Amino acid sequence: MKPHRVLVAGTITAVALLAAACASTAPSKKSTNDNGDKVFTIGYSQSNNAEPYRAQLNKQLQFFVKKYKNLKLLSITDAHQSSATQVSQVQNFIQQNVDVLIVSPNEPDPLTAPVEAACAKKIPVIILDRSVNTDCYSSFIGGDNVAAGKKAGELAVQALPDGGNVVELQGILSDQPQIDRDKGFREAIAANPKIKIIQHREAKWLKPNATTIMQQWLQQGQKIDLVYGENDPMALGAYLAAAAVHKEKEIKFIGTDGLAIPDGGIRAVQQGQLAGTFVYPTCAQEAADTAEALVTGKQVEHKQTLDITPVTPQNAAELYTKYSSEASG
Amino acid sequence: MSRPIALQMRDISKSFPGVQALDGVSLVVHEGEVAAVLGENGAGKSTLMNVLAGVFPQYDGQIELRGEPVTIHSPKQAAAQGVGMIHQELNLVPDMSVADNIFLGQESRNRRGAIDRKSMHRRARELLARVGLPLDPRRLVRQCRIAEQQLIEVAKALSLDVRVLVMDEPTSALADAEVQRLFTVIRDLTRHGVAVVYISHRLEELEQIADSVTVLRDGRYIGRRDMTGTTRDELISMMVGRPLRELFPRTDSGATPQERIIVQELDLVGDRRAGRSALHGVHFTAHGGEIVGIAGLMGSGRSEVLQSIYGGYAHRDVHARILLNGKVYRPRSPHYAITRGLALVAEDRKGQSLVLDNTIAFNASLAALPELTRFGIVRRRLLRAAVRESTAELRVKAPTIDTTVRNLSGGNQQKVVLAKCLMTTPSVVLLDEPTRGIDVGAKAEVHELMNQLAANGSALIVVSSELPELLAMCDRILVLCEGRVTGEFSRADATQERILDAAMARNGGAETE
Amino acid sequence: MSTEVQTPEQDSPPAEELDATSRFRRSLSLLGSLQGYIGLVLIIMIGIITKGQTFWNQENLTNAIGGYAAPGILAVGETLVILTAGIDLSVGSMLGLGSMVSAMLLVRHGMSPIEILPISMAVGALCGFCNGIGTAWLRIQSFVVTLAMLNVIRGVDRQLSDNVSVGTQIVQSNGSLTANSKAFQAYGTPGHKLFSGVNFPIFGKGIYYPVLALIVVVIVFQLLLSKSKLGRHIYAVGGNPTAARLSGINVMAVTITVFTLCGLLAGFAGPIDAAYNASADPLAGTSYELDAIAAVVIGGASLSGGRGTVVGTFVGVLILTFLDNVLGLNSVSDNAQLIIKGLIVIAAVVIQRPDFFRSIVSALRRISIPTRARQSTSTPEES
Repeated sequence: MKPHRVLVAGTITAVALLAAACASTAPSKKSTNDNGDKVFTIGYSQSNNAEPYRAQLNKQLQFFVKKYKNLKLLSITDAHQSSATQVSQVQNFIQQNVDVLIVSPNEPDPLTAPVEAACAKKIPVIILDRSVNTDCYSSFIGGDNVAAGKKAGELAVQALPDGGNVVELQGILSDQPQIDRDKGFREAIAANPKIKIIQHREAKWLKPNATTIMQQWLQQGQKIDLVYGENDPMALGAYLAAAAVHKEKEIKFIGTDGLAIPDGGIRAVQQGQLAGTFVYPTCAQEAADTAEALVTGKQVEHKQTLDITPVTPQNAAELYTKYSSEASG
Repeated sequence: MSRPIALQMRDISKSFPGVQALDGVSLVVHEGEVAAVLGENGAGKSTLMNVLAGVFPQYDGQIELRGEPVTIHSPKQAAAQGVGMIHQELNLVPDMSVADNIFLGQESRNRRGAIDRKSMHRRARELLARVGLPLDPRRLVRQCRIAEQQLIEVAKALSLDVRVLVMDEPTSALADAEVQRLFTVIRDLTRHGVAVVYISHRLEELEQIADSVTVLRDGRYIGRRDMTGTTRDELISMMVGRPLRELFPRTDSGATPQERIIVQELDLVGDRRAGRSALHGVHFTAHGGEIVGIAGLMGSGRSEVLQSIYGGYAHRDVHARILLNGKVYRPRSPHYAITRGLALVAEDRKGQSLVLDNTIAFNASLAALPELTRFGIVRRRLLRAAVRESTAELRVKAPTIDTTVRNLSGGNQQKVVLAKCLMTTPSVVLLDEPTRGIDVGAKAEVHELMNQLAANGSALIVVSSELPELLAMCDRILVLCEGRVTGEFSRADATQERILDAAMARNGGAETE
Repeated sequence: MSTEVQTPEQDSPPAEELDATSRFRRSLSLLGSLQGYIGLVLIIMIGIITKGQTFWNQENLTNAIGGYAAPGILAVGETLVILTAGIDLSVGSMLGLGSMVSAMLLVRHGMSPIEILPISMAVGALCGFCNGIGTAWLRIQSFVVTLAMLNVIRGVDRQLSDNVSVGTQIVQSNGSLTANSKAFQAYGTPGHKLFSGVNFPIFGKGIYYPVLALIVVVIVFQLLLSKSKLGRHIYAVGGNPTAARLSGINVMAVTITVFTLCGLLAGFAGPIDAAYNASADPLAGTSYELDAIAAVVIGGASLSGGRGTVVGTFVGVLILTFLDNVLGLNSVSDNAQLIIKGLIVIAAVVIQRPDFFRSIVSALRRISIPTRARQSTSTPEES
């Protein structure tokens, strides 16, 4: 019995190894497109598809990559906000020997090692939006959340020339974007000492939470002149609460994100609910361009910080058309 | 016996709240002897063995091993003294290997502290060889047959280097050939000086393997005999011995010719894991006004008969040809049984019949809800009136019908169960140990109720472990042994000895009418 | 087989006292637990003491209860499931799906609110039915089935919406809302009330739909549990499934029914969520199941089944609602709120144990009186 079993086990193992070897060479460093030109693969590891901003990013990236005939974007992986999952997904891309690796890290520390591993294998890496603790990547492309907060604060200063009471609705307190936007906002409003943040609470980026919190603030009776929401859903939730007691005209609402979807911030500015919001760039176009540059051997900037585009009642319509056509990938 | 005494239990007494389980019981077993312990249900055999196995920290009396008094007040101490016990319900972990099971709790470890599988397997193989099992010790217990599992238990006991091995009904699940294999192992053990205490009802087996027989009855030591030279009748009369007390008010049966239920053939697939015995070709008839009793030893299938008829088991496991009130009846579900006029008082009232945290009214009305509701809404006043009437009739002692059932005494709880069954106005009532664990007064009331029900034309089928109760209450008594009908006695002909005899007659019915 | 040992007792009356306190307690137990009511009153008092009229006014009460209406309705459904000793972890996802379906029917198919509600309920009922089949027919533990469905339903929700939220306020070219959009607001957009002419107790002029819906659901399902045959079946299945089966109850049918009803309620709450937010978020309802279960437990139900009422759950919902509200009005920090809420749940469960007071007394006694040798209380086994 025994010798037979060893033989069978050995055969199966050999077959399995063979299959694995074949499979791993399938993704194509060597594939070509219809014209016979070489096609380069891009692996993109997304931290969390559930966030609308990131869902937009994914769509836009696919759209812009398609414009380059020699680039092929592999299936975008979703780490569901788990750093551990993302680490193994990045490692998978490395195994597959992608030509360009793009990562939106969930957290800096856990993703540092896999990024360094990619660099060691001479795979060019683009970091989108959030950072890692290494410098070996080819390019970092991101918006500046501090700048986003600052611009929001500047808008607030503009809107409240004689000062006033501001309430702030915050995202998850430990999220870096929250920390940055809060910081920038407070720095900017310091320009007018008569502007005071009388209340601030964590609404966890969620609209219903903001509604409830705003209702309670209104109950407490203090005069509120401006609401700053670190993202649009929170600002809009507060708007709903104010509208319920017909106070929406007396209060100004500022959001952030500026998504070009029917339920998004740009539309809200158009319809007059928000005094302004800020398009936090998805960096998709720049990422695609940078990837193209990398595979064709061109130089790229190590750090590309993209501008935050303010959305005003004047430019809202135009911005909506611009971004929504790009989004429909 | 010239061999030295291995085990002597002197004057062992053990009581529980309200009951004296053992009263001055003694047991002597020599080295290399197979001592059988015999007794009816409730005689105290298991309690005595549990004392020996260290299950009870408190008891009266002394245990001596090899002439030296020993303290056994915990299972660990028992094991340390070389006492091994093989329970009727095997204590193996199905999803672990044979070797792992054998050495459960005493796994050998290597220098680094990890489990030393290699030496475990080697030793396991040795032990398995001793019991004649050529198994791979890596095999999962789940994949072994029951007979093999039983021998694995023996191997497990051997791994503990036992001096005294207690076996509780070891052959209940074995076929004849496997029994013989077990006996070979036992004889080998005794050759090596191990003393074996063997509990079983199977007199034919005892005749083969036992050297002596100790009989217990009602927690008392009756006597010890050498196996050779003792007759079966003698043993049975020692087991039964008590005079019959006529406290049960059974009025003479007014059995009507109307046949309420005719069970022509009843087969049931057994399920060892669920503790369910198989039934083979059970048949009987019960007329209106009759009380038919079902007697037999544990595991003979009595409860199973009632549950099969009531539809408590899955379709595919039950094969039955039954006529109920003249019409064909195929057991389908309890709900169907109730609609056809059956009612069941289950064996375990707390586990099977009552929602303990709810009220008397809730419980008593549970089975009869279809009649007490209209368009899905419960007719509260009707329900409460019905419950009040029923509980008054049964003399349930409780402040109100909203009393939580958990707070009632056993007797009153049983009455609530009865109320539930009777509210569905059944024509056939199945009762499983209806007076177990209830006080004498309530007992008498239940018996009276049974009489009344019979007088009103219902047929009653009663399972009971108390022979005196059956003899006093029933018009006819059916005896089961290992799932088969081995005897049927009319009231006039039934005696405890005859019933017990039939209950232990494994090879088909001796006396039928 | 073991002999059940009973002290031979004759006509001794059972352990229950007959005095007025226990009668009062018994009638209350029909409507939830005494401790629950005490807790609720306590929180309301704290609210009034700390914030006075800011807390106890029509608007604040409406906002608070209305904001908690969706999880509250989920809690009612959850009560039914928990009564049968099951659990439903997918209620949050079902709510999210119902919310998204409602918004999409409104926006993409131009349906009126009246048409939307039954469809949302049907979607929820279908999900609940799947949970029931998995639990009762496939015999998978409800924890596992509903945990899996939590993910499946959420995935469907996100797929349907392509991961973006869908707004319910469709603005036409002339700046006003479409008729359906406007009508949809009645389902709970803040500030929109029904029957604005009528004066209601506690809530003042007009009634906010979510509050009305919650109250109606509570009443209907409390009646279902206490007065219908199905209600008794539910209690029996949870209290002792074997006894239920042997009493002729179809345990599988009852189980499937409670899960379906739970899903139905989640679907019923869907439009409420969509209207409250004036949009449906693909992640709506995430973690709502935890609040629902907390409310049920605070309300006195036992997770092992057979005990609890819908009214008790309602008290639990109100406790959570007011707790949130009072802490919020007092500007208690977010972190402190988390801690307080968690502790309250534990405290609520401990206090509601039937032998709570007795066990405290005996524990105190045990500390002061030295232990005596205890008698063995194990029961004998039949041989």
